[in-house]
Amino acid sequence: MASAQPASPFGADPAIRVWDLPVRLTHWSFALLVPALWWSAENSQWALHKRFGVTLLGLLIFRVVWGFIGTRTARFSSFVKSPGAVLAYLKGKGAAFIGHSPLAGLSVVALLGAMAIQVGAGLFSGDPYDGATGPLNPLVKVSTADALTNWHEWFYWVVLGLVALHLTAIVYYLAAKQDDLVSPMVSGRKIVKADVQENEPAPWGRFAFAAALSAGLALWVAFGVPPFT
Amino acid sequence: MAKHPLPTLSIIAAASLVLVSACSGDAAPEGDGAPKAGEPEVIDARQANFKKLGDSFKAIRTQLEGDSPDMAVIESAALDLNIAALATKDQFPEGTSVADGWDTEALATIWEKPEEFAKAHQMIADRSAEMVKLAQAGDPAAVAAYVKDLGGSCKNCHDNFRLDDG
Repeated sequence: MASAQPASPFGADPAIRVWDLPVRLTHWSFALLVPALWWSAENSQWALHKRFGVTLLGLLIFRVVWGFIGTRTARFSSFVKSPGAVLAYLKGKGAAFIGHSPLAGLSVVALLGAMAIQVGAGLFSGDPYDGATGPLNPLVKVSTADALTNWHEWFYWVVLGLVALHLTAIVYYLAAKQDDLVSPMVSGRKIVKADVQENEPAPWGRFAFAAALSAGLALWVAFGVPPFT
Repeated sequence: MAKHPLPTLSIIAAASLVLVSACSGDAAPEGDGAPKAGEPEVIDARQANFKKLGDSFKAIRTQLEGDSPDMAVIESAALDLNIAALATKDQFPEGTSVADGWDTEALATIWEKPEEFAKAHQMIADRSAEMVKLAQAGDPAAVAAYVKDLGGSCKNCHDNFRLDDG
């Protein structure tokens, strides 16, 4: 009875903190926004498409800032690894970790990068005499806008391909390795067998800073980066 | 959630896969994909024609952005634009609107307000002819000054008759 471990009827929560709330919210926002952006473009809902696009821009900026000042598992420095580390992980010889594996780190960079390229091209896309234009369209020449518009149309397939790869990997981890990656991305917690330190919470001030910075930048772009347009 | 990961995962994975396959089914932009069964051929033809029209206008504006606009290129583009503008007249038979269920941005308003649509057509017919004259006259400044007027005739029609809420 005098033991240090209290014997609660439920036991101690065996799941440890892995993902902070901002990481989970941005992740699921991406999962909703990518199809919403596709749908709005397919159905010529350009006002919505632009609003979704600028929202995605804000979330991408937030995620990148959070990748430098967020919690441990949110930071690029914790999951962007050398090719050697990726290889070691693939051979099953990697060090124990929580958060993204060295391989998943590559996936994060690819997905964020592809979305950033797609949003970036969209900002300059369109023709002022022919329907909707991105907020930064007036900054580039007609031929540049035309090239970026074409790019914006086909690059969607690259984004879709990476999403498909991402989903396939999730299914593979569950089926072949009995590793459920989805539930922790919902709850933020995961049962980990290895002896690893759980993720530390981040101060609210840092979140407020990242949110204000990214919202401000995205709004500035939405209004056409005044006074430059 | 953590005790029963399978349902969460399978629901999300299944939903995502359905989504991806739905996207790959009809994500082709208008005019590029296989047309829906029974789609009037004129829809593809007019989209191709509007693409030509838009490309010719872009060719004119691209020349004007450079240091020494090539008047021969501008004249040829202005002629193409004029031909494409005139061709639109016969490309809007009834039953080819987005309200008819086709993959098009042509609003039913076109057939609800035929006089106004005819006026909009006349505007681009006149203005594209004027652009040809200006291009043939060979003064880049006059061509540049007329770009807004010509573009106004595009926008005029888009604002009223095209599904376009950007």
